[in-house]
Amino acid sequence: MHNDQNRMFWILRAAPHLLLLAAILAAWEGAVATGLITTIMIPRPSAIGGAIVELYVTKGTIYEHFFITLTEAVVGFGIGAAVAIALAVSSSLSENFGRYVSPYAVVLNVTPGIALTPIIIAWFGYGMGSKIALAAVICFFPIFVNTLTGLRQTDEDREELFRSFGASQRQVFMQLRVPAALPLMFAGLKIGLTTALIGAVVAEFAQATAGVGVLMSRFSFSLNMASSLATLLSMTLIGLLLFYTMEFLDDRIVFWRREARMAAVSRARARAWKSGAAH
Amino acid sequence: MTDNVKATSQPKTGQMVIHFTIFLALILSWELGAQMGWLDKLFFPAPSAILTSFWRIYVSQGNIWFHLYISLGLVFAGFTAGSILGVGLGAVVGMNATVRRFLQPYVIVLEATPRIAVAPLLIAALGFGATSKIAIIMLVCFFAPFINTLSGVINVDRDRFELMRSLGASKIQVLRKLVLPEAVPVIMAGERLALTSALSGVLVAEFIQRDQGIGTLILTYTRNLNMASAFACIFTLTLIGFLIFKGMERLDHRIAYWKNEAGLRRVGAKRARAWAAEQGGLARA
Amino acid sequence: MAKPVENSTASAQAKTVIEGRDVGKTFGGGAVIALEGANFTVAEGSFVSLVGPSGCGKSTLLRLIAGLIDRTSGSLTVHGRDITGPHTDVGMMFQRATLLEWRTAIENVLLPIEIQRSVTSADKARAAELLAMVGLKDFAFSFPSQLSGGMQQRVALARLLQTGADILLMDEPFGALDEFTRERLNLELMRIVSEVGATTLFVTHNILEAIFLADEVMVMTPRPGRLARMVHVPFARPRTPELTLTPEFNALVAEVRDILGTH
Repeated sequence: MHNDQNRMFWILRAAPHLLLLAAILAAWEGAVATGLITTIMIPRPSAIGGAIVELYVTKGTIYEHFFITLTEAVVGFGIGAAVAIALAVSSSLSENFGRYVSPYAVVLNVTPGIALTPIIIAWFGYGMGSKIALAAVICFFPIFVNTLTGLRQTDEDREELFRSFGASQRQVFMQLRVPAALPLMFAGLKIGLTTALIGAVVAEFAQATAGVGVLMSRFSFSLNMASSLATLLSMTLIGLLLFYTMEFLDDRIVFWRREARMAAVSRARARAWKSGAAH
Repeated sequence: MTDNVKATSQPKTGQMVIHFTIFLALILSWELGAQMGWLDKLFFPAPSAILTSFWRIYVSQGNIWFHLYISLGLVFAGFTAGSILGVGLGAVVGMNATVRRFLQPYVIVLEATPRIAVAPLLIAALGFGATSKIAIIMLVCFFAPFINTLSGVINVDRDRFELMRSLGASKIQVLRKLVLPEAVPVIMAGERLALTSALSGVLVAEFIQRDQGIGTLILTYTRNLNMASAFACIFTLTLIGFLIFKGMERLDHRIAYWKNEAGLRRVGAKRARAWAAEQGGLARA
Repeated sequence: MAKPVENSTASAQAKTVIEGRDVGKTFGGGAVIALEGANFTVAEGSFVSLVGPSGCGKSTLLRLIAGLIDRTSGSLTVHGRDITGPHTDVGMMFQRATLLEWRTAIENVLLPIEIQRSVTSADKARAAELLAMVGLKDFAFSFPSQLSGGMQQRVALARLLQTGADILLMDEPFGALDEFTRERLNLELMRIVSEVGATTLFVTHNILEAIFLADEVMVMTPRPGRLARMVHVPFARPRTPELTLTPEFNALVAEVRDILGTH
């Protein structure tokens, strides 16, 4: 019952959007068909649709490239994030370490990481290695700086409270600093994930044999705009996939920032407590 | 308490010495590694080789100036166009709930797409040359100011908004006197991001087109395995990036003066002088 | 109905738990004097209010007693022991509830135990009991952001009691709450404190509140922070809000105002 109502509500809400989209597509199609738009640079929506069907369904060419780019972005992100978090934690634990590392982090921040593309390709070759490396390098900074800022946030009252309980440095760090830093860290991870994808794609533009970036340049330079746009769609999909994965993790881990999740966790803990008490 | 603040804002001499020592040790061990052949010179040029390259590309050959001029010109053009467009559209969309509602799905999709990925498409559509490069830079510059302006406008303080309306302010007055000033810090944050992206955008455009500009230069040097010169170009970009960062920071402090102590003092004194001058003028008249 | 009678808890026979002799605290290498020459004793089980304007050193004194900051002069003992650092004889409560927003109410109450050792089922039972005592029986598994400001402070109070500390240091605990909530919480605080028999130091800048709650009022004056006088409050317990309407009560208010010079 409740679900049905929700579904109806959804349809009602989506309807105007879909109508608008349909109208735009129809006008576009019409303009090309009637010769209002003549340039080959703007393909008809139906041609893009055809290219999508070909790439994603009948030939299925896209999938190999899709997974290569996805892997490059994710592995690069994993490496970049691991190094960034490790350095941020060390910097927050040791004032000296943080002080002497920070100038290099600043240098890395102000250098456009993209500029390293040719050099990284020379170092790591034409394969996936160079894409992973570039992704790792350019996603490093937003994760590092967000995690460090999060860990350095201090709440005087809460720190005093912990000290009045006789908490050790380690307890203050693990039970207060780290959880308090998580929301900012996740914000950094989300930015980093998007950046990692950019790194992988740009490295593919520069020099590669496989990946959606390669496919994209190939179609573009043979002026096959419909297939090129269809390939672009796969990048959007990778972007959405990565973003929503991170959003999901954020939702689970930083549950106390979400009304709905909080209620669910609260119920789960109450149940766990009661079953614990029963034993 | 006051001396504490000073101690943290101004690094002590001892710390500076350690900073310098670490830096020197890094450079020297890198140099040593390259000289002793532990690092492949072809891929990891020695610091001395990079310094020599700096001399060559800036002074004896002086070839980097032309490419810098080309690239920075494109960055300036693309950034200006893209960010003005972003702020303008952001303000319009932010003020209009209906437009916002219908635009939202497209914004979400566009936000997830790596904008730079459209570069080959734009080059194919607009042809080789400056136009497509500027279009790429515009595209990567547009988004951050757009989103930030939009959110700045949407998140305008409710109470202040109602105050403005109770004073009988028009929509334009609300925008000019409340919404935009309140959104300025957020908009500036967007502009900072945009300018950084513009630098990346021009590089990608030049990597693909390979005709001229600093990106093409880095690519060519790397292809010819002249890594020292490629590194010299990259360190040049580090410097440019640093100047952009500092410049934007100062601009931010000037424009959003009410967010920093020095700005408050400066503008406060200026207005007091202006006020006094006006009063003096009135008294004489 | 409330007649001034000698209060037994503050009588001379009670044991002294906190004793300060010439306690002073300066910041910035002597540039700022936060507290100067404070002499006082606090009797076991008594309720002491610290009242005075901002900058009179109330919070500084509280933090000195908790051992969170070091004094620059004088001697200060708790249970006859010199204070050299944070110690668990005292528990603290602040104007902000300072709860951990990723823990449920009951998990927040258990935090002080977790810091020191592993939690037993007896601790859990005690935590549930304390939450019931502060009137939050049904909110044990709510997260702080799901609770109102007053309820958050109730959780903080339960957490304070869970520490088992016999000295409660409260720094304007209800200062950020609305008048009605504050009045109700003050009444409950009095009830709870007398139930557990703890010694309480309560910082406030509200004179009425200070007198209403306390056996002794430490009146403090600023620049530099000084302990101007100890004012004895003789009213019997339990007290009701009607007490504040009696002439005896108002005479005391006037006396404190006089000391502070805020007539």
